[in-house]
Amino acid sequence: MNNIHSLRFFWPESVLTVAVLAMLVQDLLVRRSPRRVGLLTIGALFWLALTALATWRTPWGNFPIFGGLLVHDPLRIFFAWLFLAAALLTVVIVPRSKEISSARLGEFFALLFALLLGMYLMASAADLLLIYLSIETVSLVSYVLTGFQRGRRRANEAALKYVIYGGVASGIMLYGISILYGLFGTTRVAGEGGIGAQLADVTSRLFLAHAFGGQPAAQLALVVAVVFLLAGVGYKIAAVPFHMWSPDVYEGAPTPFTAFLSVGPKAAGFAVAIRFFFAAFERQLPGGGYAQVGDLPWPAIIGIISAISMTLGNLTAIVQSNVKRLLAYSSIAHAGYLLMGLAAASTAGVQSILIYLIIYVLMNVGAFLVVIAVSRETGGEDIKDFRGLGTRAPIAALALVIFLFSLTGIPPFAGFIGKYLIFAAVVQRGGFWNVLLAVIGVLNSAISLFYYARLIKAMYLEEAIDQRPFRVPAVYTGVLVALAVPNSFLIFYWTPLVRWAAAAFGGSPSS
Amino acid sequence: MPFQFANVLIFSATAVLFVFGSLVAGRFLRPDAPNREKSMIYECGEKPIGQAWFNFNPRFYLIALVFVIFEVEIAFMFPVAAVYKSFIERGEGLLAFFEIALFVGILAVGLAYVWAMGDLEWVKGLKQDVLAQLREKQAAPPAEKKAA
Amino acid sequence: MAEAVLFYLFAAGVLAGGSQVVLRRNPIYGAVSLVGCFFFLAGIYVLLSAHLIAILQVLVYAGAVMVLFVFVIMLLNLKEEELGELRFTFWKVVGLVAVLATAAVIAWRALGPAYPSTGPARDNAILLAAEGFGGVKAVGRTLYLAAVLPFELTSLLLLVAIVAAVVVAKGKI
Repeated sequence: MNNIHSLRFFWPESVLTVAVLAMLVQDLLVRRSPRRVGLLTIGALFWLALTALATWRTPWGNFPIFGGLLVHDPLRIFFAWLFLAAALLTVVIVPRSKEISSARLGEFFALLFALLLGMYLMASAADLLLIYLSIETVSLVSYVLTGFQRGRRRANEAALKYVIYGGVASGIMLYGISILYGLFGTTRVAGEGGIGAQLADVTSRLFLAHAFGGQPAAQLALVVAVVFLLAGVGYKIAAVPFHMWSPDVYEGAPTPFTAFLSVGPKAAGFAVAIRFFFAAFERQLPGGGYAQVGDLPWPAIIGIISAISMTLGNLTAIVQSNVKRLLAYSSIAHAGYLLMGLAAASTAGVQSILIYLIIYVLMNVGAFLVVIAVSRETGGEDIKDFRGLGTRAPIAALALVIFLFSLTGIPPFAGFIGKYLIFAAVVQRGGFWNVLLAVIGVLNSAISLFYYARLIKAMYLEEAIDQRPFRVPAVYTGVLVALAVPNSFLIFYWTPLVRWAAAAFGGSPSS
Repeated sequence: MPFQFANVLIFSATAVLFVFGSLVAGRFLRPDAPNREKSMIYECGEKPIGQAWFNFNPRFYLIALVFVIFEVEIAFMFPVAAVYKSFIERGEGLLAFFEIALFVGILAVGLAYVWAMGDLEWVKGLKQDVLAQLREKQAAPPAEKKAA
Repeated sequence: MAEAVLFYLFAAGVLAGGSQVVLRRNPIYGAVSLVGCFFFLAGIYVLLSAHLIAILQVLVYAGAVMVLFVFVIMLLNLKEEELGELRFTFWKVVGLVAVLATAAVIAWRALGPAYPSTGPARDNAILLAAEGFGGVKAVGRTLYLAAVLPFELTSLLLLVAIVAAVVVAKGKI
């Protein structure tokens, strides 16, 4: 489909582009107004609503747009809603946070919309060029927002570390992309003549296997290229060994942005990974299943990364005393759980990732919101600042307990659904290694209970020096309740999630 | 095309050789009798004051940063200007114009933003002070005070 | 033949410049080495018949970007004593060995025989090179037809970079 006709399916992104410009202009216009916080928030909400409307009105379909640079399919729309939810939560949280000064709120919202646009494109990119460009957009904005509080040393350190690690990761990724281009002579991942099509085509597969001087060298080059490409994606989802930035960045960034960073770009990274691997290295069978092409052992690579990520994340989280760092390591571990679904290399696996991502947004943003509420009052983010929270701010404490149990994956809470589905998808694939991976996952969940419980113990069993109750802003209480309710009761009725995930990936397009 | 680049290669190789060649030749041909005045750094006849390495004014930095960004913009516009005629001949001139206009328009908002925020002012005027006071009221750390 | 000789010449220059950037303790020397590295890289781009990129490499990278780098270095103006001692720690040796081993494996096994001497990728490359590939006009046409979306996205990326520069740098100046 050519460029002009593709615009019909590009409304959400177009609206977001306008939103970035509009927020900057609005920032200039209301700069002197005493009511600028309110005006800017209303402006941001308006543009979010318009984007949501555009996303909702986008016709359903499954075909390449912009000559194959992007793919328009249900998966893209699914991720769009996920990003919108995360952005909405951030826009609601930010104005009452003390970490973003009201004089700079306009800049923050403009950059947030640019970030959202980058994530939208990541979710639909089907070309290596666009994958790179969209990841870079997301990264660039993330660096800036991480160092948004200029005066703070920690923020500066975090932003600098983020930039340096990010530069290395995207350099490695570009190298992988250049090797792929050298092997296939195209940057298209999906579609006609793309990498997937070339690998699926028998003659060119034989060609890959034999014509390179009868050597497995091309195979090795392919593996190297894919591992390098994974560096860029793994960096976005904070999987080991590309996780080093995340504790410092999560700690140094303004907490409302940390909450967004831990769910938004992570989900976008998974969108890229799912699309890349399933478009290039999997071939859909008539029955709906998938068969691997190109003899690339990518599920094994992902499986190893997954096992290391969750184990390392959980073990390191145990010794943390700063809650933001603790949640950073926990989010590394969650990247591991999510990668398990990808390692299953099946429709069920991907659907379980999608379901888990929804639940992850609900529980992780909630946990960070409690951190914001507490640090607003106590000025600190250490576990000791949470002491006595059970009496000081009962609703926030109860909500945090729900979120933490949900993150652990204990049965009555929503996190259990996600973990259960992922483990089930892995075990379903069968074989010794898959079962071993699932066992590692279960063991890790048990480990994670240990450090989450430490926080709960501090809240309810330890005495605070300052025992006065404090007021959580009404907006925060509202959001906390809105997030805690689905976390507690989703287990009774989660068919819509399953149906939605099935429609997004592997299901019939009509539903 | 490669032939033209061969010219460039030969040209730059000659340039490098000329510089290094004359320096090396000079090293062997000249009499070696340094004194204090001769060893002084040559600054167009003026007496050098202080070290060559000193702190640059940080105002340069923001200007340089904005300059680099707009230079990249030129780099993107340039190839388009080269083929714009062929677009017109094919009747797609308006489309191409719209594409460039969008590209420049988005960047123009950036320029307007930097301008309106007073970041292109070399001498930060009174207007800036009002803004800075506003910002400091918003619980900025005292370290930023000397900035204005 | 001449191409191969030039390639190895340029590649040696790139490696020499690049390694100097990493190894030099004085950041100004590092920056100047980087300029040299960029020039040789431009030579390699010419050999790949990416002529426009080669020119831009010199204009934008070796020119503007490096000026910015030197600005930042001079802004900080590190004193000799602040640069610290060059130390060889155990982990640096491990890192060096790991880097060399990875590079050797890729260069020896994965890249050498992996790139096809025949086949679709090679055919594509020859086909493209025939149409003035990499020249100003070819890039212009591609930017405006096939790659217009990345082109416009780049302008947004640049806008974000401008705002980012203001956000990060202001208040200190």
